[in-house]
Amino acid sequence: MSDEPRASGSASDDTGLTDGGDGPTDGADDTVTDGNALAAVSDVSRSYGGVTVLDGVSLSVSPGVTAVVGPNGSGKSTLLGILAGVIEPTTGEVRHGGADARKPVGYLPQRVPFRDGFTARETLAFYGRLVDADPDAALERVGLSDAADKRVESLSGGMRRLLGIAQALLGDPPVAVLDEPASGLDPTMRERAFRTAAERAPEGTAVVISSHNLELVEAHADHLVVVDRGRIAAAGPIDRLRADYDVESVDELYRAATGREGGIGTESAGSADEDGGVHVTGVSDR
Amino acid sequence: MTGRDRGRGGLAARLRGIDTVFRRELATVARTPGYAALAVGFGVALFGLVAVGGGGATGFVPAIVDLLLPVEALVPAAAVVLGYRALLADGATGELAVIRTYPVGIASYVAGVLLARFVALAVVVGGPAALVGVYVGLTAAPDTGIFATHAGVDSPLLYVRFLAFMLGLGAAYLSVAAAVSAIASSRRSAIALGALVLGGGVLGGDLALLESLSAGTAAAATPDLLALTPNGAFRGLVFEHVIGVAFAPETDFVPTGRALASLGGWTLGGAVGGGASVALARRVDAAIERVRSGE
Repeated sequence: MSDEPRASGSASDDTGLTDGGDGPTDGADDTVTDGNALAAVSDVSRSYGGVTVLDGVSLSVSPGVTAVVGPNGSGKSTLLGILAGVIEPTTGEVRHGGADARKPVGYLPQRVPFRDGFTARETLAFYGRLVDADPDAALERVGLSDAADKRVESLSGGMRRLLGIAQALLGDPPVAVLDEPASGLDPTMRERAFRTAAERAPEGTAVVISSHNLELVEAHADHLVVVDRGRIAAAGPIDRLRADYDVESVDELYRAATGREGGIGTESAGSADEDGGVHVTGVSDR
Repeated sequence: MTGRDRGRGGLAARLRGIDTVFRRELATVARTPGYAALAVGFGVALFGLVAVGGGGATGFVPAIVDLLLPVEALVPAAAVVLGYRALLADGATGELAVIRTYPVGIASYVAGVLLARFVALAVVVGGPAALVGVYVGLTAAPDTGIFATHAGVDSPLLYVRFLAFMLGLGAAYLSVAAAVSAIASSRRSAIALGALVLGGGVLGGDLALLESLSAGTAAAATPDLLALTPNGAFRGLVFEHVIGVAFAPETDFVPTGRALASLGGWTLGGAVGGGASVALARRVDAAIERVRSGE
């Protein structure tokens, strides 16, 4: 963050959400080991083809729902991938406080990648065997019991995403990182996807969700991280940020934090990626 | 397995990881119609060869003589088909990133994938070849004319040895093809790299040997050099322990230990190389970016 002093939060606050940016932080190690933060990235940067996508970001997440918002190409997916441990940062460190857990992090990438030819149950059974989890219970949790015997390739986009959420939550990881779980879904499925993920928060899970849908963020998220041009423009508990920026809604907060007139807007099926500007030329938001 | 500081569990956990990946991979192969077609095609080719060559109607060793040269190309081709996307598929779809959030190490993942592909190779290549053996055993009858050109003491055991060497050859190619697939960025590049492995292996080894001899290498070194390549090792082992058992050659076709070590080495080397490629890909990518960024 750094460019916007009001969004600063260099020290770990009572939410456990820490924003680094240019400013100093009290260290990811401390937030992970001493606070209730379950995962943290410290001064991480990432570039692709020499073009910086993420620049010196520090962030820690604690139990609750943390929403990561920002324009396309702002670095959200890269940040989430690094937080999940599936993308190697160019510089910086990543720590997971739940390293003792059998599965420290659950991860749903932006594109649900399951192998064709397997049913929903078989897909979750594969992952379930690795963490001693019951695939049928996981399917039931996301409301896919009736589709258990359907092949992955014959599931609708929404069902695939729900299956992806079920996979990410399999094994009860302390941190669940979900990259646009509601993207491209109809309003009902969007709500269901968000609600399913958010239900884990009261159980002590840190649920990190990126989304373009600010209404859902407003309805379900406890903390907000606004990413813009590879940096964190604002971060903290939503209520506090509203007060800091003197705004009423997350949409206004987003506009104030990023300095953009148009908000992200309400996501609609198939249009999730049509808003916002791409600020890192030639680089996709990975 | 998202970071090196994560616990990997004990041997039981590793075995479970291998077994889980193995089952998934085997199910994938079993549900891919193309591999069944590959097995049928391989079988048709083998039956056609022993029928046209005439050796199949005479005995095991004559049949092996008929099959030897074509098998040196057909088995590597089948192995490359089975392996050219083995370690690419999950990476290309992004599922490998998801799998890596689970407690299964890279070594277990690669071992599970390759073991399943080896089993598939045994079925796709070994199955039809075994059927050919059964056919020869049931139908072969002495034929003086054929024996005149295929001298040998016939025995089903010789055919079993031939099958074992054939699978060893296939395993070497499968492993190397899988390793190469790990560095491919797309299906198209995987096909190109697989073709390179096939062409380089089938033709490159012998051409390199000829080049070496023409450059002055002593002919006495030929058996040792021959054993270095998968095809040379396979051919040498077949001559040494299958075809050549009927007579006492003055010199070894190939040092047996060296040839077996060669096939094992190519197989193991491919597995290790594939594992290293999968494990280090992200770090290498990040390191390259660090260099680009001057950090």
